[in-house]
Amino acid sequence: MQVEFDDGTLLLRDAPDDVPCAEWDDRVDEYRTQAYRYRSLLEWAGAWEDGNDQATLQDSFAHALEDAARAYPALDLTPALHIEPRDYQQAALDAWVDHDRRGSVVLPTGSGKTFLGLQAIADAGVSTLVVTPTIDLMNQWHATLTNAFGDQLPEPVGVLGGGSHDVTAITVTTYDSAYRYINEYGDQFGLLVVDEEHHLPAPTYQQIPEMTIAPYRLGLTATYERPDGKHELLEDLIGPVVYREDVDELAGEYLSEYETIHMSVDLTAEERSKYDEEYQIYRDYVDSHEFDLWKEEGYAEFLKRTSYDPQGRRALIAKQRAERIARTAEKKLDTLDNLIKRHHDDRAIIFTANNDFAYEISQEFVVPCITHQTKTDERTEILERFRTGEYAMLATSQVLDEGIDVPAANVGIILSGSASKRQYAQRLGRILRPTDDRQPARLYEIITDDTMETYVSQRRREGVSA
Amino acid sequence: MLTANLARSRTTDKEIRPLFIDPTDGRYRETAGELIQLFESHLDEPKGDLEDAIDELTVADTDYKIVQGLAKLLKDECEFEVVASVNPHDIRQRLFEKANARYPIVRQPTLGEDTQKLEVYSTVADELGISLEECYRGMYADLEDNKRLVRIGTRTADQYATGGDSSTSTTALTGSSDEEYEHTDLTADWLLTRYNLALAQAVFYDAIEMWIRVWDHFGTVFSYVKLFGLMHRIYPIDANGERVASTDQAAGYEAVLDGPASLFSKSQKYGIRMANFLPALPLCDRWEMTAEILVDETTDETRAFTLDHTENLDSHYSAGNKFDSDVERTLAQKWERSNTEWELVREDDIFDLGAEVMIPDFAIEHPDGRRVILEIVGFWTPEYLESKLAKIRKVEADNFVLAVSERLDCASEEFGRTADRVLWFKTGIHVYDVVDLAETVAVSSEPPSGSE
Repeated sequence: MQVEFDDGTLLLRDAPDDVPCAEWDDRVDEYRTQAYRYRSLLEWAGAWEDGNDQATLQDSFAHALEDAARAYPALDLTPALHIEPRDYQQAALDAWVDHDRRGSVVLPTGSGKTFLGLQAIADAGVSTLVVTPTIDLMNQWHATLTNAFGDQLPEPVGVLGGGSHDVTAITVTTYDSAYRYINEYGDQFGLLVVDEEHHLPAPTYQQIPEMTIAPYRLGLTATYERPDGKHELLEDLIGPVVYREDVDELAGEYLSEYETIHMSVDLTAEERSKYDEEYQIYRDYVDSHEFDLWKEEGYAEFLKRTSYDPQGRRALIAKQRAERIARTAEKKLDTLDNLIKRHHDDRAIIFTANNDFAYEISQEFVVPCITHQTKTDERTEILERFRTGEYAMLATSQVLDEGIDVPAANVGIILSGSASKRQYAQRLGRILRPTDDRQPARLYEIITDDTMETYVSQRRREGVSA
Repeated sequence: MLTANLARSRTTDKEIRPLFIDPTDGRYRETAGELIQLFESHLDEPKGDLEDAIDELTVADTDYKIVQGLAKLLKDECEFEVVASVNPHDIRQRLFEKANARYPIVRQPTLGEDTQKLEVYSTVADELGISLEECYRGMYADLEDNKRLVRIGTRTADQYATGGDSSTSTTALTGSSDEEYEHTDLTADWLLTRYNLALAQAVFYDAIEMWIRVWDHFGTVFSYVKLFGLMHRIYPIDANGERVASTDQAAGYEAVLDGPASLFSKSQKYGIRMANFLPALPLCDRWEMTAEILVDETTDETRAFTLDHTENLDSHYSAGNKFDSDVERTLAQKWERSNTEWELVREDDIFDLGAEVMIPDFAIEHPDGRRVILEIVGFWTPEYLESKLAKIRKVEADNFVLAVSERLDCASEEFGRTADRVLWFKTGIHVYDVVDLAETVAVSSEPPSGSE
């Protein structure tokens, strides 16, 4: 019997009729099975060889099997880490190895799941695909993997997603890109690492583990159980839960202290008149249709109308224009100008939720800039230079989560009044650290007065929700 | 193709239908015309400016989703390129390094040592030997929004198969890819017809399985099945669409299309491939299609989506050349002039070989119902010949004959069970040699009558 990887499945040429888990494919007159059965198929045929163990050959049961499916190389890696694994990380790794390197580890947020992933990759010693739910997380993994293994790999860590399409021995990707391309690359990885694996049980995403042959699998999550009960599928696709650490045992350990300073700026006279004009168009339309915009359905209804009602369309454009005026108010740049003068010896991160504004600041103040558009390798390079002090300032429209990849700063400046600003402030606050000479870290928030920015922020503080 | 959010369809208890538009409707023609003009006026301009202009475009009485959909189709035919004299990444890296040594860079200098951005930009511009403006604009010339619209053309089916939905080139600083583009004039007619096809394609994003019936252009249809990576089950059918026993009695073919993993579960994975395949069908004169579309993921509920040749869909794919080689064309011409009752029919049979199909070049039919199938093995490279021979060896029909060039390095034994039905030729094939061979091996295509 010959096992061949075919477009996300395994084609079993000349297979005996007792071959397990296979379906007869009358389109090609051969047996076919799902790619994730690769390991159990080899085990059944007595052809499975684990990295360290001898093949267990059961003479009476051995089937001649030619493995034409495996296209992944072995790798000899040692993570270049400057920190020792914490006890629970070591225990989790041991448990995973004891379960034949298949299974899920449940650890709370902020407990170093990425760190565990690195050790698992080095331990398995095979090419690896890391699947993450967002481009942000994909970028973080890329930075971490590059730091840990970059010098030991013949090619840079690969990126599949966010506009990049480079597949190498160690590759990071998103769920969406993985779903789209897994049928092409499912034979090229021996280890599949799935971050936030509770997203996996969906008719589309679950094809990612199904269409890869990876005999080793590691799932990582803080919230394993799903309300719909579908996490039960993970046992078959990834393996059993091999280790679990509770949330309260780790919570509250690594928080940083900082002071927040609110600053507000006015629109210039010209900005004000334009703003009022556009805002009025939007307001009139909304008022005449009685959408309850503070409810999610109300806003959705407004958006729906904008697709077929030309006036609604105009109202939406007016709203966007008004928001843009408030967001990029001239005096915000003046205020920023002052802050930069005051903090030019510090390490500052300037945050704006809007890409265009981030680039405007980058060009105006000649500071490096990270947005969703920044290619993963350039992002990793900029953060590395920020870490070493080659760059003292950084503008970004991306939420940089605390973690291994984002170096500490002592000044944060938030320039945009986005609806979820509070959340951004909290998350940005977490990467702020006091300076070595014990000056407290500072977080500035600059908001444009008398615009939707203040309105949004006030409504939220008042707790008006529904 | 349209993105899923631009799809427009209506789902009823029975079926799902795209909300086709009438391409002769004046307001749509006006919208399409305005959009084409907008694109043409943005040639050499940044992509971001074009997108802002589309975003702010309000065309009276046209659903904005239609405007966006039409714009997406035009964008698919465009090429955007980074225009910069020096790699933008190099420019900005030098700028940041230079600036970092001189912070703070401020807009309103208050202290003697304050630097202004102009000094940084001009220093780097001098280092790189470019103008100040090239330095400033080049810094982020590789951003998606800053890429320039350099070409509006029409993509080929191969590009849809390989290029995914990416319509931008990411690396090209210079260079051109003229040969990949068919330069067709973009007209309102073209765009609106293309839009209706795209609406139909968008329904397939949630497709699980596709049944097609075709009565002509078999070679073209199945080459697109293969190009887009679909698998098939094929059944010969008669003029009414009823299945028949053999290809000799077939007027057309029915095929069920899906992908490798469809064997294990109903998968939407191949919906995009089916969507890409769909434009192959309107190349046929007569066709029908039914697809099973998933409308609710949680309950696995599906609806049927049905189309046929009466819908006036137009294809932008190529139907290919009628003849693959001069030998074939010459034989067809000679046959025209010859005096025989046997008739030569182009690509009339399909042999289902499992993973792929073989569509022999000709069928030769006698008015009394006898027929043979003819495949010409002409002048090919050794690799191509080998794959051709592998296909031929799988064919089991008794009325299958070969015309093989003597210039090929192969022997009769290599043709499997067809070995004793080979006609060797030097430069061209003689009609009467083929007729002689036909007389000896032809089978009747009449369905077997009741009597034994």
